[in-house]
Formats: sequence, structure tokens, C-alpha cells
Amino acid sequence: MSDPLAPYEPTPRDPFDLAKVGHLLRRAGFGASLRVRRELVRGGLEAALRHVQPPAAPLPDQALQAAAIAFGDLERVRAFRVWLCLQGVHPLRERASCFWHGHFATSNQKIGDPRAMALQLATFDRLGLGRFDDLLLAMCRDPALLRWLDNDTNTARRPNENFARELFELFTLGRGHYSEADVREAARAFTGWHVRDGAFQFVARLHDAGEKELFGERGAFDGAAIAAAVVRRPESARFLAGRWLQWLVHPEPDPADVEALAVVYERSGRDIGATLACVLRSRLFFSAAAWRSQIKSPAEFVLGTVRLLGATAAPTALAAAMAGLGEAWLEPPSVEGWHGGTAWLSPASWLLRSNFLADLLAGRSGRLRPAPGTWLRGLRSPRDRAKAAVLLLLDGVAGEDVQQGLEAVAHEHAADDDRCAAAVLHAVACTPDYQLG
Amino acid sequence: MATCDRRSFLQFCGALPFVGRGFGAWAPLADDRVLLVLELVGGNDGLNTVIPVDDARYAALRPQLQAVRKGAHRLADGTALHPALGRLRRRLEAGGVAVRHGVGYPGPDRSHFRSRDIWHTADPGLVRVGARTTGWLGRAADLVAARSAGLGAAAVGGLEVPLLLRGRSVTVPSLRRLEDCQWLAPTAAGPIGAEAAVRDLVDAGRGDGARTHAAAVARAAVRLADDLTAAMRRYRPAADYPGTALGRDLQLAARLVVAGFGTRLLHIGFAGFDTHARQLPTHAGLLAQLDAALDAFAQDLAAQGRAERVAVLVHSEFGRRAAENASQGTDHGAAAPVFVLGPVQGGVHGPVPDLQRLDDGDVAATMDFRSVYADGLSWLGLEPEAVLGAAFPGAGLLRPVR
Repeated sequence: MSDPLAPYEPTPRDPFDLAKVGHLLRRAGFGASLRVRRELVRGGLEAALRHVQPPAAPLPDQALQAAAIAFGDLERVRAFRVWLCLQGVHPLRERASCFWHGHFATSNQKIGDPRAMALQLATFDRLGLGRFDDLLLAMCRDPALLRWLDNDTNTARRPNENFARELFELFTLGRGHYSEADVREAARAFTGWHVRDGAFQFVARLHDAGEKELFGERGAFDGAAIAAAVVRRPESARFLAGRWLQWLVHPEPDPADVEALAVVYERSGRDIGATLACVLRSRLFFSAAAWRSQIKSPAEFVLGTVRLLGATAAPTALAAAMAGLGEAWLEPPSVEGWHGGTAWLSPASWLLRSNFLADLLAGRSGRLRPAPGTWLRGLRSPRDRAKAAVLLLLDGVAGEDVQQGLEAVAHEHAADDDRCAAAVLHAVACTPDYQLG
Repeated sequence: MATCDRRSFLQFCGALPFVGRGFGAWAPLADDRVLLVLELVGGNDGLNTVIPVDDARYAALRPQLQAVRKGAHRLADGTALHPALGRLRRRLEAGGVAVRHGVGYPGPDRSHFRSRDIWHTADPGLVRVGARTTGWLGRAADLVAARSAGLGAAAVGGLEVPLLLRGRSVTVPSLRRLEDCQWLAPTAAGPIGAEAAVRDLVDAGRGDGARTHAAAVARAAVRLADDLTAAMRRYRPAADYPGTALGRDLQLAARLVVAGFGTRLLHIGFAGFDTHARQLPTHAGLLAQLDAALDAFAQDLAAQGRAERVAVLVHSEFGRRAAENASQGTDHGAAAPVFVLGPVQGGVHGPVPDLQRLDDGDVAATMDFRSVYADGLSWLGLEPEAVLGAAFPGAGLLRPVR
């Protein structure tokens, strides 16, 4: 069998076209305007990969970030994150930070400190595409995460296992790849890893410096030693590879693909950015099985729509809409993060998605600019308008029944450009295909 | 693979209860019994909810947390309800509440997620949750949908439909507010492309993809918007619900029950019970919310003439360790009491937890949770074995239906 991670090479029968560009931008970003998508088709695969993972993109504006942090309120921190994703300066990094936020899912609801949350997200921006060793160690010292998992009460005399358990179960290994004894020993190693005045502090007198046994080895391990040991476990490579394939390729990845990606990850020196780049250029990534195989998250649906239209909208309104759809950034439902997949879409949340877009396109909320009429301007016939809407939102790929249905909608509203555009775009956004990422 | 008739096609996409029958066309349902599962998410501390106050070992295991004994409400078997559960105690004395000590499953798992999955699937041997994994209430919803039209089941309060309500053929909706049920379509046409999306995938034999799900959901959503809004406007509350999220969710549940929409199965999640640190005020606050909201719900249903037709099962994914931890909290444990409200055999059932014989530091289970499920299913008039996959002796908490 051929290597699933072998590079995809465009051929006349399987060209690098608008559908593939749309796919790449949906998974490794939040989409882009039709103008940008067409440029990337012309520029080819390598240019598109550089677009989602630009080699020299600056980190998010520190001054703005600092201002969002200084205000210290949840709404502003969220709005800042939304704004970042709408900018799309480094699409893959923005998506990766969202991924890590779901992976190391910390909620402000318990810690009540938006500043600490904002700093955690900034750490994802900084390290989320670097070596996993560095990211994990940073998380083991992250004030928001330590408080979220009660490690600030973990002491030598009275160990608290919460952090150690989730470190193994949710962050690195997955169930079944560690023992209860490993959890107890790791909890001892993290005693005294506390938070003082909003910063990490190692409190030696509360630390258990004694010998521990972890994964069959003995030593006077501290938290850093545990983190260093766990990233070297082969189960950790497989666990992470599976999570990345769920994000980038398919909700239920093939075990052979997971195995192959785990090898790539190990060989890269556990470099996250290099591993993700390997996925993004692979045949697997551009395969038919991967295309439109995911249910869009609320962020993908809300932010993606604004970006596909090449528009701007009020970040606070978009953040609130996402929260209403079940994805309140900085407040994941549990330490497990968002469940994702088909759980995103129920009849009730479908109605809310649809109603949010109806309001946005009709100008009732969100301050969408430019107004919808501009997208279909100059197109007169219902057929042309339907085709334009499918290009904008579905990369031109929709069934004949969808085209016909949209033509009927365009015909119904032919008298008023703005209302016609809003109605046709809304109708596209209500198709099953548009729910897919 | 080819053709399939319209009925199996609709059944396949999970939209059958919503398709082809307007609300007005339904005959009044002979069977209007409703089971509401209220899940205390995070692992409720059973030993501080139904407290073994007379057991000296309790105080020894919990030097700090034993403070709840003060003001606790004594029960007949020598245990006591947490001080915040005063209204529940009055209902218990009046015969409207059953408590069963020590409910759990063999080989308790201390992970929230796996233990929740086990409670949701009713399968302690569950290996992993996949696309086809179903929940016990979802499987019950399949049976309900096969017998009658209507909104047989719903998740109330969240946007996600929990695993527990995932059925083989039914797509169960989640509801938060009445206003969420209206579709602001700028056009009279329904969602475009849904029929064909399902048809394509049936023909291609790929029935479980994201696209099928999206199409089934789109069609269910539009029916939901049309029918539910009208039906639910008939409800007038007959109790003052507390202004908490739980109060709001329970009121929406009452609205669904009263609307006569054929709803038989409901789930509400009430989160925050993962009390690893500084537990006393947090836990008391949560139980007070539970007490007030359940009391209003019971009062409302009684006034609506539904008290005998609605059973509420309150459980958590696990109890907590018998011994408190160093942070004035408790860590993940095992068996815990469950509560049932409604047409019950009132009182406290089962042996008081034996703190002398802890199982690896946890309260040992004296009843399998599936026996409690079997009780609820029998009471609903459903075949427990068809849902649970095996026969379990009933827990005897609900009164048999005449």
C-alpha cells in the first residue's frame, strides 16, 4: 500500500482547484475571500501552503494583546481572539491556537481571571507550532491551567491528583496508557508547582523531593522530568497524531494513518508545525474521504462566513454568536474541551446558526460590511446570482438541486438587490453542504 | 445498493417523527408518562448529600467536611440529607421522593469522561465511543418513535445532545429557550438540498457521514420550528421557578411535558459538582439550587395534573472518595445515592454505605445502575431488555403503573 502521507501532486485529472483551496483554507484557517482563493488557485499548491503557514508572519500584535489583557474582561479578550482570526495573518497558527485551547481546555468560569486566560492563549500563539516538549512544559507552568486543575493546592503532605491525571489522560497519552500508580507518582512530582501573584512559582518547601517511580523508572522526578518523560512515550506520539488527524483530515482517522503520522512527528524531533505541514501537503489531506467530512464548529461557521464573503463584522457580536452556538471561547464546557463532530449540530443549534446568519445578512446584527448586495452586484439573472452565491460560499461545488433551489429563491426576491443577495446567501448557508468543513 | 422506499428512507435519516404529519394530525397519546434524567455533572459527593451522620468513621474520614452534619435533615435509616435539601426532605416525608444508597457499576472508573460514557451508554465494558455508539435514553427514544409520532425525546438546556440521547435512528434535538425554535427564513422554501443529500448517501451506502447528519438535522429543525412553537405557547407556569439556569431548564421541561407533544424522555445536565477544593460552600450552593428548582418543578407539575405522570431520576457519574483531600475537597470516587421524584415508593432504600468496608477508598456499590434504569424503563412501558441488552432486576423505586 502506498504511503498515505506522500505528497499530493496535482494532475490534470486531479487538479489543484478552487475546491482544494477552499478545503485547505477551511482546515488550516477560517477560509478566505473569493479573490484570495482564486489567486491561490493560480499560484499553485506551494503558494497556498505558504499562505496558510507563512514563514515570516509576525506574532499577534503585542500592544493590542496587552490592551485586551489590561482591560481584564472576558468580552474583550474573546473579541481580540475573534479579530485575530478574522485578520488571517497566519491562518494555521490561529487555528492551532484554537486547537490547543480545546486540547488544554481551561475555563475562565472556574478561575475567574481573563488575564491569565489571555496569557495562556498567547502561549499557544508563541509555542503552538513549535516543539511539543516546549509547549507541554509551558502548560505545566501555566498559571491558568495550574489553577484550573487545582495544582495550586497540590502539596507534599496532601497531594492532589487532578493535574497529573489530566496530563496523562487528556493532554498526552489517552486512557489505558498509564496506571493509577503513575498518576499518584506524577502528582507527587508536581507538588509545589504553584501560582503566586498571577505567575508560576516553584515552592520548594511544599514539593515532595523524594524518589518516585514512573513508567517503570525511578528517580527524584519533578514536574519538568515528568513532562520530559511523557513526551517520549510512543503512545503520546500516537495520541497527538490522532488528534491532529481528527482536526485536519477526518473525524475518525484510519489507525494506519495515525501510525504513519506518529512516525513523522517523532522524526521531526516532535515539531508540531513540521508535522502539520506534512499533513497539509499529503494525498491523504486532499483525498475525497477528507473533503467535507467534518461538521463545522461554530467558529468555523461564524468566522468562516464572514471571511468567505471577504467582509468585516463586529468581533464582539461574532464572539457572542459563537457562544450562543455552543463555542464560548475561554469557557469550554469541561476539561475535555468541546466534543465537536456531529455534537455541534442539533436541530436547535441548526436553527440558531440559520437565525444568526439571517440577522447578520439582513443588517439586524453584527455590522457586516460591505452590505450583502455588493456580492451579487451586476448579476441580473437568478441563475447567475445562484451560481455566484455557490462560488462564494461553496467553492462552486453544489448539486443540481441546490442550484435550482437557489435560483427559485433569487427569482422570488428579484425586485430588491440587497434582499435578494441576503436571501440567496442565507439559503446557501442553510444547505447541508455548508455545515461541512 | 439502489433503491429504498420512502418510509425506510425517512427512518434512515432519523426524520420520521417529523415528516409527513403535522402536529394537528396526531391523536392524543394514550401514554404520556415522562422520564426526566437530571444528571449532576462532575461527580456529586454522595456522602455529603445523604450523610451517614451516626457513623463515627464518617467524621474520621472527613474532619473538615463533616461540618455539614449541622443542620442536616435526619431520615428514617439513620442517615441525613444535606442541610440545603430542606424542600426535598419535605417531599420525601410526603412520599414523593425515593433515595437509593450505593448505586454504581462493577469496576468503577475514576475518569469523568469514561464514567459518564458508561452511565450514558449503560455499558460498563464500553471500549470507546464511536460514531455508532448509542445512549440508553436514545435507544429508548428509538422505541418511543416506533410507536408514536411527536417529539419523543429532547435534551434540555445545552446545545450539544449528550451521548445518552444518541439513538440508532432518531435525531434528538436540544432546546434551550422557546425562542430558539423559530426559523427566520427569508424565504418560504425549506432548507435546500437536504432531501438530495440524504438520498445521495443512501444510494452510495454511506449512511453515517457528516453530510447525512447535517441533512437530517436540517429537516428535523424546520419541523421543530413549525410545530413546537405553536404547541409550547399553550403552557402557563403554575409555580415560581428560581432564576437559575437549572430553574429555567426545568421550566422548559415542564413546558414540553404540558405541550402534549408526545415527549417521553428528557435529559438535563447540571454541572459544577467536581469539587476538588474548598468544597463546602460550592456543594451547598449547588444542592440549594437543585432543591429549589426541583421543588418548583414538582409543584408546577402537580398543579398541571401531571404529578403522577413524570418521574425524575437524579444521578451523577460517580460519587467521591470517602476520605476528604487536603484541599478541603474530595477526589473522584465510585458508588453514590440516586434520587427519584414523582410516582415513587417513597423513602430511603438499600443498605447505608458501609464505611468499614470501603472498596479501595470508595463507597462500594450495592446496586447496579442498570437496575435503576430498568425501573424507569418498565415504568415507561418500555421493554428494559431491549434498551439495556440484558435483564436486570428492577430497583423497586417507582410504583408500578395500574
